[in-house]
Amino acid sequence: MAERPGRDTFAVWRDLLGQWEKGMNSLANETMASDQYTRSINGMMNLSLDLQRTLGESMAAYLTALNLPSKSDLSAISERLASIETRLDRIVTAAEGLALGAPARPEPVGTMPPRTRKPKTVKSP
Amino acid sequence: MNREDRPATLDPLVERLNVEFERTLKRNIKGLTYIASAAPTVGETPRDLLYKNGTLNLFHYRPLASEIYRVPLLVVMATTNRGYILDLSPQLSFVRFLLEAGYDVYMIDWTPPAADEKSLRLEDYTQRFIPECVRRVQATSGQSDVTLLGYCMGGVLALLYAATHPEGPMKNLVCFTTPVDFSAMKLFSKWSSERHFDVDRLVDTLGNVPSELIFTSFEMLRPATRAASQVKLWDNMWNDEHVKSFRMFERWSTDTLPIAGEYFRQTIKDLIWGNALCTTTFRLGGKAVDLRTITVPLLHVLAEHDHIVPYEAAKPLVRGVASKDREEIVLKGGHVSVVAGPSAKDRLWPKLDDWLGARSV
Repeated sequence: MAERPGRDTFAVWRDLLGQWEKGMNSLANETMASDQYTRSINGMMNLSLDLQRTLGESMAAYLTALNLPSKSDLSAISERLASIETRLDRIVTAAEGLALGAPARPEPVGTMPPRTRKPKTVKSP
Repeated sequence: MNREDRPATLDPLVERLNVEFERTLKRNIKGLTYIASAAPTVGETPRDLLYKNGTLNLFHYRPLASEIYRVPLLVVMATTNRGYILDLSPQLSFVRFLLEAGYDVYMIDWTPPAADEKSLRLEDYTQRFIPECVRRVQATSGQSDVTLLGYCMGGVLALLYAATHPEGPMKNLVCFTTPVDFSAMKLFSKWSSERHFDVDRLVDTLGNVPSELIFTSFEMLRPATRAASQVKLWDNMWNDEHVKSFRMFERWSTDTLPIAGEYFRQTIKDLIWGNALCTTTFRLGGKAVDLRTITVPLLHVLAEHDHIVPYEAAKPLVRGVASKDREEIVLKGGHVSVVAGPSAKDRLWPKLDDWLGARSV
């Protein structure tokens, strides 16, 4: 049922919420467009990146000392496994194609409808 | 007091209080269900994976019409976002609309780039991935012509492909909310200004740029909106349709993808700092990127209230290409709602069908 204007007791509150959202976004956008803001968030990000890098290097050295694989070692193994999986997928697809006597490229599922459709009203482009 | 004894002026108020009482009850009951239930299923339209290469996935949607247009349509999604925004539910699916309207739809959809894909560059996306997908669409459809449709940064990739492949194959180019003049994206330009933003340090330290950083950057454009939307959700908790829609969009917006490191570095240095799409000196893979080499029919759809890609950032596109058949339409809505919101069904989708149908035979 459509509500008639002026009868919704919460309408004022909803309007206020909308105004608050608009006002806050506008105020925040003005603040965030300042040089000072940009400098400070980028400064914080650089600090966080430096910490992350230092922590990563220390952790890698520690794990090496314990003769344990580091995150980058595991990532390297994961990459190699992914690469092997991709190659296996390609070989399986090719083998299936050969076994069925069909080309080793994907075919659309089912029969494609005829490509004869015309627009409802033909407009000259 | 009986209804008959009550002054008539009180009736609307009592009626209203009844409605609010009922809604409050529903809010509480449905609120509990909301917390306990799983997120709604999205991207249900049947499709087949035609090709996968790391972060790249090429899908072919199964036709839903008995007769389809001759020219297949390849949708290029933005590298930061999942393609299911165009296929949220059977009732709100741009893809399903296209299929039912008789288009043969393919989509380049991205998955998070793996650690070893941090070296992917704009050249990989525009000179290797898209051409490979176009070839596969041609092979699968048996058609030499292909229409490209890019959304946001997907539009930029389609545009870069078009500008570096003037010979095609490309029948038409459709761009949704695609930025060209990056200097007009005020806040993004400011935050990533060359003076303060050390993109090299970021990429060299992290490899791929994490999705949290991308998500936060978008959220910061409208920092109060998240809090307000939670209040609006509570207010509308009694309304199942609103809750379902909210959850689908919420799921999508938080499902941001990381970005390949080198691609991000180039985006910052070339597209934002160098504003490369507004120059004629930018080169990709040894090829000059000049929008004036684009001559195919072009449609650019913009949103009136787009807070991510404002009109000023997008308007040079139609003016910059050499196509004789080119059109820009500005529709009511925001960056996402113009394409995938409930009102898109009545505004954008039929307009696109009118434009594209006539050019897909």
